[in-house]
Amino acid sequence: MKREIWRNFDFWLFGAALFLSIFGIMMIQSAIAGNATLAQAVSRQPLYLIGGTVLMLIMAAIDYHYWGSLSRFIYIFAIISLLIIYVVGTVSFGSARWLDTGVIMIQPSEIVKILMIMVLADFFAKNIDKPHDLKWIFQSFLMTFGVVIWILLQPNLSTSIVIFVIWFALVWICGVPVKYLLILALVGIVLIAAAFPLLEDYQRGRIINFLFPDPEASYGDTYNVEQALITIGSGGLLGEGYGQGTQVQLRFLKVRHTDFIFSALAEEFGFVGAMTVMGLLLFLIWRCMEIGRTASDLYGSLIAYSYAAMLFFQTAVNIGVNLNVVPVSGLPLPFISYGGSSLLSSILGIGLVESVALRKGTITS
Amino acid sequence: MIMNEQKSYQKAIEPWRIRVIYIGIAAVFCFYTFKLFSLQILQGDYYLAQAEDNRTEEINLQTERGIIMDRNGVVLARNVASYNVTITPADLPGDPTEEPLPGAIQEIYRELSPLIGVPVSNGVLNDETVKTFTACNTDFGITEVVIIQDTNAPYSAVNVACDIDRETAMIIQEKASDWPGVGIEVQPIREYPTGSTTSEIIGFLGPIPATLEEEYRAAGYVPNRDKVGYAGVESSLNDILAGTNGKRVVEVDVAGKEIRDIETPIDPVPGNNVKLTIDTRLQAAAKAALIGEIDWWNRYFNTIRSSNGVVIALNPKTGEVLAMVSYPTFENNRMAKYIPAYYYNQLMSDPLTPLFNHAVSAEHPPGSVFKLSTAIGALNEGVVTPTQSLTCPGKISITEKYSPNDPGSEREYVCYDKLGHGKVYYQRAIALSCDIYFYKIGGGYEGEVEEGLGIDRLAEYAKALGYGQVTGIELPGEAEGLIPTSAWKRVNLSENWSTGDTYIAAMGQGYVLSTALQVAVSAAIVANDGVYMQPTLVREVLDSNGNVIQPFTPKVKWDITKDKLITVFDENGIPTEEKKAVEPWVIKLTQEGMRMTITEGTAKNYLSNIIINGKDIPVAGKTGTAEYCDNVAQDKGLCIPGNWPTHSWFVGYAPYEDPEIAVVAFVYNGGEGASVAGPIARKVFEAYFQLKAIDAGEPEVKESEITTP
Repeated sequence: MKREIWRNFDFWLFGAALFLSIFGIMMIQSAIAGNATLAQAVSRQPLYLIGGTVLMLIMAAIDYHYWGSLSRFIYIFAIISLLIIYVVGTVSFGSARWLDTGVIMIQPSEIVKILMIMVLADFFAKNIDKPHDLKWIFQSFLMTFGVVIWILLQPNLSTSIVIFVIWFALVWICGVPVKYLLILALVGIVLIAAAFPLLEDYQRGRIINFLFPDPEASYGDTYNVEQALITIGSGGLLGEGYGQGTQVQLRFLKVRHTDFIFSALAEEFGFVGAMTVMGLLLFLIWRCMEIGRTASDLYGSLIAYSYAAMLFFQTAVNIGVNLNVVPVSGLPLPFISYGGSSLLSSILGIGLVESVALRKGTITS
Repeated sequence: MIMNEQKSYQKAIEPWRIRVIYIGIAAVFCFYTFKLFSLQILQGDYYLAQAEDNRTEEINLQTERGIIMDRNGVVLARNVASYNVTITPADLPGDPTEEPLPGAIQEIYRELSPLIGVPVSNGVLNDETVKTFTACNTDFGITEVVIIQDTNAPYSAVNVACDIDRETAMIIQEKASDWPGVGIEVQPIREYPTGSTTSEIIGFLGPIPATLEEEYRAAGYVPNRDKVGYAGVESSLNDILAGTNGKRVVEVDVAGKEIRDIETPIDPVPGNNVKLTIDTRLQAAAKAALIGEIDWWNRYFNTIRSSNGVVIALNPKTGEVLAMVSYPTFENNRMAKYIPAYYYNQLMSDPLTPLFNHAVSAEHPPGSVFKLSTAIGALNEGVVTPTQSLTCPGKISITEKYSPNDPGSEREYVCYDKLGHGKVYYQRAIALSCDIYFYKIGGGYEGEVEEGLGIDRLAEYAKALGYGQVTGIELPGEAEGLIPTSAWKRVNLSENWSTGDTYIAAMGQGYVLSTALQVAVSAAIVANDGVYMQPTLVREVLDSNGNVIQPFTPKVKWDITKDKLITVFDENGIPTEEKKAVEPWVIKLTQEGMRMTITEGTAKNYLSNIIINGKDIPVAGKTGTAEYCDNVAQDKGLCIPGNWPTHSWFVGYAPYEDPEIAVVAFVYNGGEGASVAGPIARKVFEAYFQLKAIDAGEPEVKESEITTP
């Protein structure tokens, strides 16, 4: 039996993810552009990929239903992992996000995204027959908020938003009535307006800059996005070639190994390369949606759908920032951007979805 | 069973909700595809150009301006090094923006600070102060200047101290190996060893004016760095002296660090050197003579009667200007590094206009020196014959008429000598500068001269002698002067030319205006038997290695005895197509008249008996005492009718038989020509022939050995 289920292993999903990760490592190498400190840091990315792949296979092997039955513990574990960094966390770029385990630096909030997929999918699967009223929405929201609050306080707005997007995707899929959706939207707008003054200066600045670009803005304010557009545009149809992009190699493009790696690859590989990467990410999302559709039970289905939603949201926001259609936010491009925790979390997610894929049509076992 | 289970949860998820998600995903990816297509394919060239612009930097390589020498190779303008202390932030041992500063950087700053007199740290960095920051002109300390540079271009050097002395520069240069990031930048600055002695000729340099920035930029100049001539030959010969800047196009990274040359570098072409016709020794002697004479008379009258004058010496056979003094002038070394506002404003507001070259730009009535034109014209036109003597009774009455039928009114014209000169013939009239003689030949006099020369014919001869037009000397702002004609008066003053105007113009008064250089040229033409040599300041142009690329070749402008320059007028005074030249014998007789000025005429007491090294130097010349009434004189209340203030003029040449030098001396409000301008010219002649004897290595002849005949 155990051996048989691997026949359902989605090699397309795994292959695309692996391809993108390896391409990412290659692209990061190019984006280092002679920066010695950066070179040292990113040399560990392949290790994350190897470690992540092993963990993914283990994740795939484990029956996802266990996560459902352990959801309370997972929920508590998520909160504790986030609380730990307030005690022993490492501050970087003004926010405490990192946990130094001695061997590797881990960003617990990245892992918590996958944990929240397990927990929330379980909640919605179990409560599918209850009335989809405001209480249902509110209860699930509070549950999400109980974890997100600690990420929000780091502060890390973008990851918080990702988790709320997972929650919202689940609310949507599980059939929230449209009238409540309108109420939700209204409350959301009010909340955002109320929260705006509470944002950090840099976050407010980014949003204002995006919504109302100041034509007389000083060089620094719009430099990054402007350079990103130049970088993308100068790639043309076929790109300037690997390691040949002047914007990347001469470091006019900033944060080119993380937030703006899409611009870097668009310059070096052109429209064709950028479309290929975007196509592969789309393919990944589609595979996950397919696994969601064919999953053997609601829990599995919701896991796959919410992971797809997360993947889509992160991809859309990251590329949107690069194309200057979304305000600057620190969301990495899944699988490609530099960042061990992000890569690990994306690959673990693949493992989780593979676990669902492996067990389609085997509900009774 | 399994099917039922699946169905039950499948029902839980309404398919349209999944479809909405798919539509959302498709919409976003379609939009991004469109955006990418637009950026990379449609606007690809635009962004590629921007990326190119990011990575390419054009470095202008400064050329060196040519030097200016006098005819003997004495340097009049050269480039000297000015030393700036620079710091390249990226090369410092550590991060200069860190707080507190890394120890190694602190050490450098602390040792450097007392050497250059700039505090280690001073001032507050904020948007406002950083925006207004300009290197070399800031109150910031070293730390702040380096931090600003580090944010702008950490791989480029910034000046932390400018124009330090050479010794300090050497000390810092030696320490540079211990002080990574610190360097010395050598910048060329113009220096004028002869300073105010030659400043009216040399001029000075200044920044590229904002209004001409585009043109100069197109010619490869860099505004705020390169300078251009503002006056003198620095301005007029700018194209020869300036040279061409070189260019490198390099690839730079975001920090401004040069990666490589993209194009083959173009080396700068140094400017050509110029050897002027000026003899600095003669220039100094002429200036000393002018200032000495002016000061002597000011002391004599115990008032500042005059403080403005001109001396020009030129070679009538070649046109070479040997000396050109415009007094007062300015000190061009004070404008070498930058033009100090207070000094410039002081020069600009000075009523004596020291920035103005009076030798070529100031127009004055020439007075009696202009009689040469009248004399040559009258003789050449047959108004008088050489032997014909006219009576000079001291004063005459002439009818002032505005038209032939105008009954007119009687007016009295006086000679400067109220006793008159008796019977005067041509040469004697010139020598004595007899006013009555020139009234008569200029305007006619019943019974003696049936028809005078008349203004239109006079103007023809004056112009042939170089009046009323620029000479074309290599100096900016040359004035044309004014030679009036009957047509000119009708057009400009809406009045007919009167007979009285002719009498006045024949004397170089009234509407007639000329520059000192034009007066010098008129005498030089006579001295050179009617040949007008182009006056010039440039003897040779040499390349930067000292090879002559443009040797001196005297240029003949025209020969009044051969070139037909004089328009012939018919009996009604209407110009005809016919033209004629001046008869050589007319020039000859004029020369004789000018010689007689010295031997027995107006300048007898001042320019005769010039004996240099035992040799007698015969001079020929003409004095002038020009009445004027300009706004300065009017303000001072000097314009008393019949007793106007006068400028002093003397123009002459020597040796009489074989002229080598023509000199004009002019003193504004100097009074009598002979006694004020005459001695100045005498000193210039003396200096010239003394220098000539010295240059020829002639043994010095002592006064006592001279045997006077």
